[in-house]
Amino acid sequence: MTLSNLVFAVILAGGFWMFVPQAQRLVRWLKLARPEDRTDHPDIRTKNFVLIGLAQSKILRDPFGGLMHALVFWGFCVLGLGTLEIWIQGLYTPFTWGVILPRFLYVPYVFSQEIFAVFVLMPVGYLLYRRLVLKPRRFTVDAVHSGEAVLILGVIATLMITLLLVFVGEAMQPGADRVGRPITALLLPLFRGMSPETAHIMARVCWWIHAVLILWFLNHLPKSKHLHVLTSLINVWFSNTSGPGRIGAMKPMDLEAEDAEQFGAADIEHLSWKNLLDGYSCTECGRCTAACPANITGKVLSPRMIMVKTRARLTEKATVIDAVAAAGGAVTETQQAVLDKHLLDDWITEEELWACTSCRACVQECPVSIDQLEIINELRRDLMLMESRFPEELQPALTSLERNGSPWAFSAADREQWAEGMNIPTMAEMAAAEEKPDILFWVGCAGSFDDRAKKITVAFARILQAANVKFAILGQEETCHGDPARRMGNEYLYQMLAKGVIETLDGYAVKTIVTFCPHCFHQMGKEFPDLGGHYEVIHHTEYIERLLAEGRVPLDTEHGQRLKVAYHDSCYLGRYNEIYDAPRNTLKKALPIVELVEPKRTKSRGMCCGAGGGRMWMEENVGKRVNVERSEELLATGADQIAVACPFCMTMINDGVASTGREVPVFDISEIVASKLAEPAGSA
Amino acid sequence: MKIAVCIKRVPVMETKFAIAADGTRVDDAGLKYDVNDFDLWAIEAGLQLKEKNNNVGEVVAISLGPDAAQEQIRKALAMGADRGILLQAGSTPADGLAVARALAAELKDGGYDLILFGRIAIDSMNQMTGPMVAELLDLPCVTNVFRLDITGTTGRAERALEGASEVVEFPLPALLTIDDGLNKERLPSLKGIMAAKKKPLEVKPAQLGEARVAVQKMVLPPERAAGRILGDSAAAVPELVKLLQTEAKVL
Repeated sequence: MTLSNLVFAVILAGGFWMFVPQAQRLVRWLKLARPEDRTDHPDIRTKNFVLIGLAQSKILRDPFGGLMHALVFWGFCVLGLGTLEIWIQGLYTPFTWGVILPRFLYVPYVFSQEIFAVFVLMPVGYLLYRRLVLKPRRFTVDAVHSGEAVLILGVIATLMITLLLVFVGEAMQPGADRVGRPITALLLPLFRGMSPETAHIMARVCWWIHAVLILWFLNHLPKSKHLHVLTSLINVWFSNTSGPGRIGAMKPMDLEAEDAEQFGAADIEHLSWKNLLDGYSCTECGRCTAACPANITGKVLSPRMIMVKTRARLTEKATVIDAVAAAGGAVTETQQAVLDKHLLDDWITEEELWACTSCRACVQECPVSIDQLEIINELRRDLMLMESRFPEELQPALTSLERNGSPWAFSAADREQWAEGMNIPTMAEMAAAEEKPDILFWVGCAGSFDDRAKKITVAFARILQAANVKFAILGQEETCHGDPARRMGNEYLYQMLAKGVIETLDGYAVKTIVTFCPHCFHQMGKEFPDLGGHYEVIHHTEYIERLLAEGRVPLDTEHGQRLKVAYHDSCYLGRYNEIYDAPRNTLKKALPIVELVEPKRTKSRGMCCGAGGGRMWMEENVGKRVNVERSEELLATGADQIAVACPFCMTMINDGVASTGREVPVFDISEIVASKLAEPAGSA
Repeated sequence: MKIAVCIKRVPVMETKFAIAADGTRVDDAGLKYDVNDFDLWAIEAGLQLKEKNNNVGEVVAISLGPDAAQEQIRKALAMGADRGILLQAGSTPADGLAVARALAAELKDGGYDLILFGRIAIDSMNQMTGPMVAELLDLPCVTNVFRLDITGTTGRAERALEGASEVVEFPLPALLTIDDGLNKERLPSLKGIMAAKKKPLEVKPAQLGEARVAVQKMVLPPERAAGRILGDSAAAVPELVKLLQTEAKVL
């Protein structure tokens, strides 16, 4: 062993000696949070790991920037083997993989190292250019660690350049093996004048820079926003997109737990360890914030800052907890002041939380499967359940939900007014006649009480009648399932209402439910199972699509003028349940005279109407109104009509279009289909 | 400060009412109940006074009614009241004086600095019980309070009159009936709801005595006639003014 081997051994050991406690600290901090089992559905988790983690599918949603990142990521994976070789070399100079690998494996290995060094170097150049010159909005608006990003890119560039210079220097030695070294071959002419001795020194210097810089990088990561290099693959495996059909379902909550004293989260220890791991994994790329309708329209909410602040609060508090433990439990006044602070209020404000429309765009966009929405929801739960603190305008809706089983103060007796003269049986009537319908048509509160939405109710009922579907409604027995309350954070009221609905449904042994409200659809289908309610819930766009496919809807599609229609994706149908095609197919299949046009933001990239997450019942005084922004996008397509598939979107887009002074009508998919029914069925 | 708040269990007004077969009461089937709105504001007033007093003292929620009225007392407890008393009666009697007597009997020796009522119960709409209790207990009484300030043993309240208001000073103990506009009731937090389960709720029979008022017959109000449209231009104005003067008599 030479002196240089010895020196390197000391540096390598030192590097790891410093890194290990940092890694332990990160794990220890996660344990400050609530435990949560995240090992269910290993198949889906593994699939996520491969697709989102290894194949970088979500990063590639931005095709060019994504590819640049993916090249760096894949490059690091491949070059990891080279790093190992370098470290072993540091300890035992003659080592190369060539010593233990057969030549047919070693040559491709060498080739891969050279190629991927370039695959990393080129994108890094572009990424630096983008940061320093192009400066897209998401890098500038509320970005906190931008300088850090430039530093890291500089380090990566240095690593790649030194690596290539090592290759070049070695290749210039007499008798060097140059097989499988295309990049070296390209570079060699540049070093024509250099003597083998100088080349050797250059290679050695670069080797040292490279080897030590990697160790520095490793030790820098735990303190850096680039911690995602270490955590994001793990994060993706543990991410929320686990159970089948449970995308976007809110976390179940045991309200009856005797010893529970905290509901929701006010500080980091009330969150789950996965929420904190999300914090580690956020690299502040800002894709979430760039897609956030609240942020786009000038509200204070920034999903990126939710993550940044969660991590900052963890660091702040956990550092003190560590220091106190080290001091044997003695707490200084300054330390106590830090411990007394909270994530809620001291870091994240109420205003930010209530600005969220729960549209899930942030979660959808995050390349490493962070769930910003879960933290927002947990903090809202604390506000609502622990402190009863919420915007005043929500109170009537909450009181009404409690008193009348609907967010609006209408009498349950008026629920079936729309059905007058339509000859639609209720479940109670069917049961009395000892009959069973094929489906329950769940009308929903909007469909029962809102004058505009009632027209959708009638239209869909007419389609069902025209298709001879044996269906019934609950009528006065229907009540809200509590989704608005749940999204506002009032889990108690939600569970009260939801359990009531489940009791009613189970009383009639309901199996299949069809509804035109995506919120009802999502809640009853995807979140009721946690409360023991198991039903097949179908959204009307899918149901109509099915009826059309079976040829059961008599339509007159020959006549009428050719219309340009822009369809607005509802968040709870699209991003929450990945139903993008059914509404479009329904329109196209039912109405060959329709030409579909897509707005700028569409499908999984669609933009919220502004009503989700309880925002339907809140004022929107800050910035531009979300519904106006969205309506303008829809109008920009030049559409003659706008189609929606949600009664809340209907209200919001209607208002939005009206505020622009344009007279483009907004219709629900079912209204468009019903308008083409061949036989006039009943009153319209 | 020791504060009693008298609250009434009333049907939720959005319910469609039907008259029971015997024709003297509302059909109970499908009815939902809640605390009378004005009483909610009285509870809130009591809680705020206690909070202003550094949470010293006690807010007691008292209701007279059927067993089920425990639900409404629990709501008051969930909002923050300290304990509850239910004066049990088969149903809430129509005789306001009987109710007042029973409440007065309970309140008499309670040592309350302040007794709060809602201005009116939204079901019977009598707005008598509070003042009658004050009379029975020989307490100063201020009704329709929409602004309130208590310092030491003196209170200052602003009460609503038709088209005006008056400011009254009164010594404690006193009885107040709370009007719309004094505050907005808080929604119980889950923490409050959980805590309410463990708070004391005493149930004892109401000393109702003889009822001297009985409901003979109950009828639904007649359906409201449809509105009339006089026109949509300025030409309709004189006719409108005439009708407002002669028919509606509001001008």
